[in-house]
Amino acid sequence: MADKFALDKYADKDSLIHSWHPKCKIIGISLLIFSFAFIQDISLIPVMLGITFIFYSISKLPLSFLVSRLRYPGLFLLGMIILLPFTRGENIIWQWSFLKLREEGTLLVLVIISRFFSIFTMGLVMFGTAPFMTTIQSMRQLGLSRVIADMLILSYRYIYQIFVDFSQMQQAMKVRGYTTKKQSNPKYNISLFRHISVLAAVTASLLLQSYEQSERVYAAMRLRGYGDLTTSIIKPNTIDDKQTKNTSLSLLGLFGTVIIAVSLFFWQVI
Amino acid sequence: MHISDGLLPAPVAISGYAITGFATWYSLRQINRQSEPTQGIPKASLLTAAFFVASSIHIPFPPTSLHLILNGLLGVVLGYYAFPAILVGLFFQAVMLGHGGISTLGLNALIIGIPALFVHHLFSWRSFIERYFNKRVTTGIFAFLAGALGVALTVILFFGLVVSTLGTGEYADSESVAILGLVISHIPLMILEGIFTTFVVLFLQQAKPQLLENNG
Repeated sequence: MADKFALDKYADKDSLIHSWHPKCKIIGISLLIFSFAFIQDISLIPVMLGITFIFYSISKLPLSFLVSRLRYPGLFLLGMIILLPFTRGENIIWQWSFLKLREEGTLLVLVIISRFFSIFTMGLVMFGTAPFMTTIQSMRQLGLSRVIADMLILSYRYIYQIFVDFSQMQQAMKVRGYTTKKQSNPKYNISLFRHISVLAAVTASLLLQSYEQSERVYAAMRLRGYGDLTTSIIKPNTIDDKQTKNTSLSLLGLFGTVIIAVSLFFWQVI
Repeated sequence: MHISDGLLPAPVAISGYAITGFATWYSLRQINRQSEPTQGIPKASLLTAAFFVASSIHIPFPPTSLHLILNGLLGVVLGYYAFPAILVGLFFQAVMLGHGGISTLGLNALIIGIPALFVHHLFSWRSFIERYFNKRVTTGIFAFLAGALGVALTVILFFGLVVSTLGTGEYADSESVAILGLVISHIPLMILEGIFTTFVVLFLQQAKPQLLENNG
């Protein structure tokens, strides 16, 4: 699971999306994401999936990067919408005993799944094709609050380390015989109250460790001049030369995505 | 307890962003009024990362296991930083794990963050009661209420939003019954999260009381 925290591990690849200026990329892809969210017409689903496929292919991100992240939300979404085809609508397209598959519900599920897949994939293209620091710096330039930007950077920096600490704690608990699985011998099973007590102690220890580390981090940041509302931990410029040289190409890309997003929106509305 | 990308129509998602923008502005305004607003940023960031990791904890609840939301605990520990922290945590969950979504980030921040802010205010009222009763017992009761109410408000907001947006008028009666049924089915989670929050808060009160006091 720790590997999933590395959002920008393919940021050094060479593709058109990678060399797209981050600010243009954030604006363009965000517009596309919201135009996808507007889609309700089933005839637009192939267009949306096609655009998603083109963007992901151009980005040269590996398929495994997408698939590994789709597993969990796939199951979650499945749980959320499993009932819709059997409960929504009046036109029955298939029936077995009391189970009635309805056309309206099935189409709604198809639209929801397609929108989810396209928006999630475009999100990966947006955040997976540039170093995280660069993306946040661009978001800051586009108006993101300094406090939120600093919190994003610091949290991202420490998530992996805290996850490692947490894994070590879990390992230590296992070595001492703690397990959440049901034991074959009932005398080794502990009560729900005891489970909560143990897991709460682990969470509290994790919070304590993080708090103490945050005090050391703040002391180090103060030494480097951090301390008033005008300073930020984000460096003035982390956007590389390749991205600044492609300004005209980036603007052209932004223009193209704006046209696509607006067309999808008006196609849906009209 | 997250709304996935694509589940709700875009106008609802955009409205969620607008209200979240206002809630974030309000939280940041309160943070900026503190004597040293930047001091809380590393603490809030590292605790956000810790909460992100701790949210993977599952408590065995036969025949299944329950996943904690921890927004009540966030409100108690982080105060006004809880809303930005939830926004950051949800952003990471959306882009790293696909839990929630980018287009629905605003809505998810609202249904989890607003209860956290409410709980922060509720927990701060304990100082008035502590004058007359045992401090540890009072903190424990308020921590339980914070954990349980955090989940209760989130459940009500979540199901209210999803079912009212996805539903239509002709199914209104059955939807009301469905909402009620789903809210009732979450009562064990509310109690569990209340007990869990109580344990964590009492532990922190003993080991590091500053964590519960300097929260804006």
